[in-house]
Amino acid sequence: MIWLTIILMTVIIFISRYIFIEPKLPLRLSPSVVKFLSYSAPAVLTAILAPIVFIQENTLHLNLDNSYLIGAIFAVLLILITRNTLLTAILSMLLFFLIH
Amino acid sequence: MQDQQSDSEQASPSKLKSALKGAASAMPLSIAVIPWGILAGSYAIEAGLDVIQSQAMSAIVFAGAAQLVAVGMIKSGVGLASILLTTLLITSRHFLYGMAMRHQMSPLPLRWRLTLGFLLTDELFAICSETKQHKFDRWFAFGGGFSFYLIWNIASAVGIFAGQQIPNLDELGLDFAIAATFIALVVPSIKTPSILVSVLVSLVTAVLCELFHIPGGLLIAALSGMSAGMLTAKLTHETHPNKTILTRPGDGL
Repeated sequence: MIWLTIILMTVIIFISRYIFIEPKLPLRLSPSVVKFLSYSAPAVLTAILAPIVFIQENTLHLNLDNSYLIGAIFAVLLILITRNTLLTAILSMLLFFLIH
Repeated sequence: MQDQQSDSEQASPSKLKSALKGAASAMPLSIAVIPWGILAGSYAIEAGLDVIQSQAMSAIVFAGAAQLVAVGMIKSGVGLASILLTTLLITSRHFLYGMAMRHQMSPLPLRWRLTLGFLLTDELFAICSETKQHKFDRWFAFGGGFSFYLIWNIASAVGIFAGQQIPNLDELGLDFAIAATFIALVVPSIKTPSILVSVLVSLVTAVLCELFHIPGGLLIAALSGMSAGMLTAKLTHETHPNKTILTRPGDGL
């Protein structure tokens, strides 16, 4: 039963990742769909990162005691100044672990 | 599988360089995923899966959130149909990634599509979105995706064999690495007012969904943000700075 679960989960997840990059799928993305999808990366990544930054233990933390928020503000400033993704990630992680 | 582009089999220095660059771009995300990998491994053992099943979860299912939730459901004796429906809900965002990557990935040979499709996680989508404006580099994507896959599986193995002995793993705050890397990717992509609106709407919606425990919050937030961005662009008659790259001859209705 566990193996069946694992295999069916594998199938569902692989299809969800693969189906739209299959060229034989008769799908023509209209310019407005392409435009819509151009917002997907910033919107999805923000939807993943926002709860990490603002919510700890099911509560909203908008104060400066929140080391995630401090680190996030630092990361925003750093990327605006350096324009270097890797450097920003590493330096803001260092700051975060110093204050966390 | 023999495709016409057999030249891509040879690992020339520039391909290796691209792959290593991809691995470097994914590195903060790979580090951030280590505790989750350990958790996924130890939790699977705890739920009664054997060693091979636990590793197979990470090696062939390869989907962090869906794995953890499914293992929890197996542990509490939930039926197969519910597990699969939940899996579908959690994994539905990947449909969006595939659609967004269609222009870049669908022209690739089959073995590349299968490989990159299998590796298309949040993390791979994130690092590819960075280079999307330029030419899509399959080796960069492979290096990022595959290094992430290896680290996820090694971490899971550590969890399977030693998970119970590592205390307070979730209190380390390694999830900040995800936030920091995504911020570094999102902020430079805000080139128009409509993208800014999209990001802000997504942010607020995601936080609200999380606070009120709304299932599928990630997808709801992302789609709200995308719609808000689209609407803003329409209302303000905004022209996209990368318009020429976004359309390809022969596409569109």
